[in-house]
Amino acid sequence: MSPPYHQCRVFALILSAALLLASLPLRAADTLYLYNWNNYISEDTVKRFEAHCRCQLKQDYYSDNEEMLAKLEAGAVGYDVLVPTGNAVESLVRRKALREIDKAKLPNLRNVKREFLDAWFDPGNRYSVPYATSVTLLGYNASKMKELDLPTDSWALIFEPKHLQKIKGRVTVLNSQRELMAAAMKYLGYSVQEHDPAKWGEAKRLILRAKPYWAAFSNSTYIKDLAIGTIWVAHGYSNDMFRAQQDAAAAKRPFTIGFATPKEGAVLAVDNFVLHKSGRRPDLAHQFIDFMLEGRNAGDVSNLIGAGNPNAAATQHILPEIAVSPGIFPPPAELQRLEMLRDFDPKLRRSLSRMWTEIKVR
Amino acid sequence: MSEPRTQPSGLTKWVVTLPPTAFLLTFFLATALIVVVAGFRETGEFGGLAPIDSLAALTLDAYHFLGGDVIYLEIFARSFLVAALTTLICIVLAYPLAWLIARSPKRRRDFLVLLVILPFASNFLVRIYAWIMLLGPVNLLYTPFAVVVGMVYAHLPFMVLPLYTNLEKHDPALLEAAQDLGANGWTRFWRVTFPLSLPGIFSGSALVFIPVLGMFAVPELLGGTGDILIGNLIKEQFLENRDWPLGSALSIMLTVCVLALAGLTAWASKRGLHGTEAVT
Amino acid sequence: MKTKAHFWLWTASLATYAFLYIPLAVVVLFSFNDSVLNAEWVGFTTRWYVKLLHDDDMLHAAANSLMIALVSSSVSTLLGAMAGLSMHRYRPRWLPFLVLTPVAMPEILLGVSLLLFFRQVLDLSLGLFSILAAHITFSIGFVAVIVRARLAGMDESIFEAARDLGATPWATFRRVTLPLIMPALVAGFLMAFTLSIDDFVITFFVAGVGVNTLPLQIYSMIKVAVTPEVNAISTLLMALTLTLILVASRFAPDVLKGRS
Repeated sequence: MSPPYHQCRVFALILSAALLLASLPLRAADTLYLYNWNNYISEDTVKRFEAHCRCQLKQDYYSDNEEMLAKLEAGAVGYDVLVPTGNAVESLVRRKALREIDKAKLPNLRNVKREFLDAWFDPGNRYSVPYATSVTLLGYNASKMKELDLPTDSWALIFEPKHLQKIKGRVTVLNSQRELMAAAMKYLGYSVQEHDPAKWGEAKRLILRAKPYWAAFSNSTYIKDLAIGTIWVAHGYSNDMFRAQQDAAAAKRPFTIGFATPKEGAVLAVDNFVLHKSGRRPDLAHQFIDFMLEGRNAGDVSNLIGAGNPNAAATQHILPEIAVSPGIFPPPAELQRLEMLRDFDPKLRRSLSRMWTEIKVR
Repeated sequence: MSEPRTQPSGLTKWVVTLPPTAFLLTFFLATALIVVVAGFRETGEFGGLAPIDSLAALTLDAYHFLGGDVIYLEIFARSFLVAALTTLICIVLAYPLAWLIARSPKRRRDFLVLLVILPFASNFLVRIYAWIMLLGPVNLLYTPFAVVVGMVYAHLPFMVLPLYTNLEKHDPALLEAAQDLGANGWTRFWRVTFPLSLPGIFSGSALVFIPVLGMFAVPELLGGTGDILIGNLIKEQFLENRDWPLGSALSIMLTVCVLALAGLTAWASKRGLHGTEAVT
Repeated sequence: MKTKAHFWLWTASLATYAFLYIPLAVVVLFSFNDSVLNAEWVGFTTRWYVKLLHDDDMLHAAANSLMIALVSSSVSTLLGAMAGLSMHRYRPRWLPFLVLTPVAMPEILLGVSLLLFFRQVLDLSLGLFSILAAHITFSIGFVAVIVRARLAGMDESIFEAARDLGATPWATFRRVTLPLIMPALVAGFLMAFTLSIDDFVITFFVAGVGVNTLPLQIYSMIKVAVTPEVNAISTLLMALTLTLILVASRFAPDVLKGRS
């Protein structure tokens, strides 16, 4: 027997077995496709919904609005429900990528807090229903801050050299042009939706002055760095700070993690359910959104990851330590000082990106 | 080197050449064309690409924007430097290993090769996080050093394997002959083995140098506040900045640079080989 | 003197192996760590593996990844070997560029443009096929380059000898060329396999609804933090790959050994 034939046979066998396994049908007849952030709906909630609708809920995940938008922009289809943040909702609406919501099918819409309805990105909530919120703020090692006598209620903590010199190399900021420059704008007293490039230039200079004191631009590792104690101040999202706080407490660290919204104001992100036009099951999609608007189901996301909640009926289901945290649920007065990010025209985007590149290189 | 005779193998030539060519023409060239055109299009109002109505809608904007600015040149230069350094370190680390594997008993070779590649069957990101855990406590995390370590780690097998496949075929008899002629270890290596292994080094370098240039995860996770490479810049254009024309233009410039470099190397090595042939 | 050179060779090689395996040891070790924070050793547990066995998403993603890696690396080894042979024997000028450009192109661009191509030019629905086609596209170059490196400087006289003895091209290929390039094929296959099983960026774009691979799953999880569960699945994946290859080499020793 000649070996090469033998080889071919074995190879063909492996190949066909693999192909067979790979082509096994995965789809059930009644399936709702959700394109979502990872860990944004608890397993329990998913199970309850599947029992409720007698269907299957399949999730694909993204970790960034921009990933989701790029994928859809290039032509991906088949998702029934997406969970974009406000500015991404606006962009999807303008591109006519969304299906209008039939409010008659959403009796639970009355549970949503008034202040989260009728937002600028979707007047009259024709396309979107708010699901969860977060604030971009400062998380810190409370014990260290006390020891070094540093203010934790102001962006000055990450922008002023006089504070920074005490914590040099112990600070991370978000690796995001939008978020970091918005923080700088807030500290300078400007709006994060500002259109004047000169004011953005000021923000750039502020950042460049502070940058030598920072350890890194980090979008995810700061959770662990804070909880371990190698990083003392981090610019990041309220739900991540909550997680760092919990982790540090669970690991019985000798310090505690705190987080607070700076008094100059900060960025608020509101994530919303929307229906993608390419979805095949708008019926199930409406059923899903209404289900998620019920108090108990809506509250789950807050308990799961420490997200803020725009649902009034959810409040009684949320764990007390989360419900009273001002970093997660901004008090009404503070809500006034929060702003949402908004997308700019291509020209301003390009010049902001140029500034960002300069920030990174210098 | 005698030129392969072609007359009995006209059919064979096409049997061998056609399938990969057809596949790449379909799935790659068509795709590449989209990219090239995208570099000349305008950005859509909310990102992506503006709808294209006519040829008049094409523009050189993206290239003008990049051309008039040294900062992008600086990032290119920096990235090529990091890629060159990574490649060099990979060669130094991979050579002894590839040599050892190539000279071990036949039954052990495949196992040793498997050992090289096995760590890479885990997950890339998980391995990078392992480096975060290793470098963090010794205060090397968030430094350019960490970036190079991560790059070398991620690409080392792509140097070891081509080198090994090349070294494996060299005839030990040739070395023995050199030894009989009284050449000592180093001379033997530099005069005989090393020149013979050059094709392996070149292929390994191509497979390390080129992917390093497009890599963004390593500088993002291991690098400090100044570690931005061309891969990060391109990723930013496609995602955060939603400026696809600029991203395409940057990618095309990168690809052209790389191909030019590859062509140059091939040309130089050919000349070099002929040169040595002429000497001997 | 020979033993001294030998000593240094072994030392250097072992150091390189250590470099490759130290982070891996961390991954495996911490998959048994009894701490969600996963920053320092707390205590031994197997609960992450238990949790993993009940995580259908993760297991399904892992199965998908293995399948895709197996098929795409097989096909790209075949096509890449052809391209390598062709580049060596017939030297078409354009082939090296065609083969190398997908390697040179930034993967995010390749991902976006493949997606544009699949959806807007071919109007194909995305699924396993699109992932396979994409993975094969970027793997061919790696295999072709390694096969060519193997053939470079090869003594052409053996092929001629075979032909002079009246062997058909197929027989020449089977008896001479194939055994000769077998180590390159094995190496190329392994490279393509790791490229495929590790790819996130391109897969992210070309994956269809409901088709998940392990890197997609892990990337979205890691946004929050690496849990030991991620370490556990990585450990399992390595063990599985090792077993698969060892079993394959046992049942088809020729495939791996490459000599009769």
